[in-house]
Amino acid sequence: MDRRTAWLAGYPPCGWGILRGAQPPSEVSVETLLQLLIGGVLQGGIYALGAFGLSIIFGVLRVLNVAHGDYLMLGGMVTYWLYTTWALPPFAALLVVFPLFFVGGLLVERWLIRPIAGMPHQEFLVASILITLGISLAIEDVTAFALTQPIKGIDYFLPPFRAGTVVISSLRLIFLGIIVALTVGIHLFLRRSFMGKALRAVMEDREGAMLVGINIQTTAAVAFGLGTALAATAGVFFITLIPVDPHIGIPLTLKYLAIIVLGGVGNLPGSLAGSVVLGLSESLVSYYAGAEWSLTVAFVILIAILLLRPRGLLGA
Amino acid sequence: MTIALGLLGLSALGFFTALPYLTASTYLISFFLSVFIAAILAQSYDWVGGHMGYLNLGHASFFGIGAYTFGILLRAGVPIGVSFAAGVLLATAFALLISYPFFRLRGAYFALATFGLVALLELLASNLSGVTGGSEGLTIPTGYRLYDAYYASLVLLTLLVAATAWLARSRLGLALVSIREDEEVAGAFGVNAYAVKCLGLAASAAVAGLAGGLYCWYLTYIIPTTVFGLDAAIGPIVMAMLGGSGTIVGPLLGALVVDVIREVLRLKTPYLALTIYSVMLVLVGLFLPGGLAAPRRWRRLVRSVRTRVA
Repeated sequence: MDRRTAWLAGYPPCGWGILRGAQPPSEVSVETLLQLLIGGVLQGGIYALGAFGLSIIFGVLRVLNVAHGDYLMLGGMVTYWLYTTWALPPFAALLVVFPLFFVGGLLVERWLIRPIAGMPHQEFLVASILITLGISLAIEDVTAFALTQPIKGIDYFLPPFRAGTVVISSLRLIFLGIIVALTVGIHLFLRRSFMGKALRAVMEDREGAMLVGINIQTTAAVAFGLGTALAATAGVFFITLIPVDPHIGIPLTLKYLAIIVLGGVGNLPGSLAGSVVLGLSESLVSYYAGAEWSLTVAFVILIAILLLRPRGLLGA
Repeated sequence: MTIALGLLGLSALGFFTALPYLTASTYLISFFLSVFIAAILAQSYDWVGGHMGYLNLGHASFFGIGAYTFGILLRAGVPIGVSFAAGVLLATAFALLISYPFFRLRGAYFALATFGLVALLELLASNLSGVTGGSEGLTIPTGYRLYDAYYASLVLLTLLVAATAWLARSRLGLALVSIREDEEVAGAFGVNAYAVKCLGLAASAAVAGLAGGLYCWYLTYIIPTTVFGLDAAIGPIVMAMLGGSGTIVGPLLGALVVDVIREVLRLKTPYLALTIYSVMLVLVGLFLPGGLAAPRRWRRLVRSVRTRVA
C-alpha cells in the first residue's frame, strides 16, 4: 500500500515533507479533497470533546489541567486493551471508558484538587500547575513503563462507503455522527438539566452561584469528572484512527489551549469552531508538508489569535 | 537572619571555590557544575516566575536559543566571546519579540502558552536540520573544560545571587512584586507594568542564554531534547517552586535538593524516576506550595500534623 492509498483508507495522515524537498502529490482530486475535509472535521470533533472538557474544568474550578491530554492517551490505551483482550469494538469501549474516567475524574478532584481549593490566588495557581503537571508526568511515565511496545493502534475496519467514484471511510462518518450526538448531548445537559445550569452559573459568577445555594463542591466534582470522561472518550476515537503513544499528552493539551484561546474561555460553540479550524488546518498541513509540522499549526494559530483578537474569535 | 544567610552564602562560596583543590573527584566537580547551571536557570526563571508571578514554563527556550546560537557560531569559526554575546543577544531579542503577544495572557494561559513555545522550538530544532544538525545534534570542537566551566558557572551564579539580593530591595524588584500581587493596582500607582514585565523577561532570558552557551561549551554536544526537552523545560521551574519561589535562597536550595534526589534515583532505580519526581511535584503542590524555604508553611504543616495525631 503506497502512502496515498494508505491515507485514503483512513490511515494516519502521512506527509510528503515539502520542507525537506520532496514533491507534493501532483493530482488533487475531488476525492482527496473530500477525504481531507472529512478527516479534518473529524479530527476537529475529537479535539472538541477534549477542549470542552478542559474548558468546563477551567471555567468551574479555575484549574488549568495540564494532564488533560494524558486522559485522552489513557482512554485510548484502555480502548486498545479492551479491543485486544476481549475483542470489544470501539463503540462498546465508549460505554466502558466514559463511566470509568468519570469516576477517575471524581477521585482526582476529591484527593488532589479539593485540598488546595482554599489557597490564596497565586499559591493556588502554582499548586494547581504543580499538581496537574505531576499527574501528567506520572501517567506518561507509568504508561511508557508498563507497555513493552509503546505505540498502540487498533486495526478496526468497516467496509467503506461508496458514492459513485468517491470512497469514504464509513468508520469516520459514524464517529463523526457520534461526536455530533455527544456535542448536542453536552449542549442540552448544560442548557436544560439542573446540574448543567449550576455548572454554567459557577462559571459565570462563583460567589453569586454560592449565594443562590449551589453546592460548589458538587459542581466542581461533576465538572472534573465530566471533563475527564470527555477527554478519555475522545481517546477512543483517536486510537481507532491514529496510533497512540504515551507521550502525546502534553502536545494535545497545548492544542486544547490553542482551541480555547481561539474560541473564547467557557464558550462551547467557540471551542467547537476552534477545533474544526484546527483540525482542518492540521489535516491540510499534514497532507502537504508532513505530519511532523502539525503541532506548529496549533501554535501559529495561537500566536495569530493573540496578536489579532486577544479575546478569541467568537469570544465576548 | 539576613546576616546569618549572608555568612552562610559567603562560606558556601568559599567552600565551592576551594572544592577543586580539596578533592580529586571529577565526578563531584561535574555534579556540582550541573547543580550550578540548574541553579542559574532556576534563579533566572524565578525573576519572572516567582517575583513577577508570571509562570514562564518556556524558560528553556531562552536556554536552548543561547546554546544553539553559541554552538552554531563557534562551529563556524566565530571567536568564543562573540559567540557567547550573540547567544545572549539572540535570547534577549527573542524574549522581547514574544513579550508583545504573550503578555496579553495571564495566569494559567500564559503558563501553557510559554510551555508550547519550548515544544515549538524543539520541533524547529529537530526539523531544520540544515542549521541545527537536527536530531543528530550539534558538535563543537572539543577540549577539556571541566574546571573552567566549573568556575565560570560559579562566578555567574554568584553574580546572579547578588543581583537577586539587590533586586529584592530595589524599586524594580518592588515593581515586579507589585505586578504579581495586583497588576491593575500597580498600574494605578504609576508602575509601567508592560515595560517592567518586558524588562524582567529580557533580563531572565539574557541569563538563560548565557547559561545555554556555557552548557554547550562544557558539553560540546547538544541535541534538541537536552536543551528544549521536557526535563530542561520543567526542571528549573520545579527547582524554584520546590525551594521557594520569589525568595533568594529558594531556587538554590531547590536546585541542590532536586539534583541530589535525581542523582540518587538514577543510581538506585533505572525505571520510573520520572514518576517519583512527579509524585514529589504533587506533594509539594499539596502541602508546601510556598516551597521548602517558606518557614510559615512548615510551621502550619507541623501544627496540622500535630493536631491530627493528638
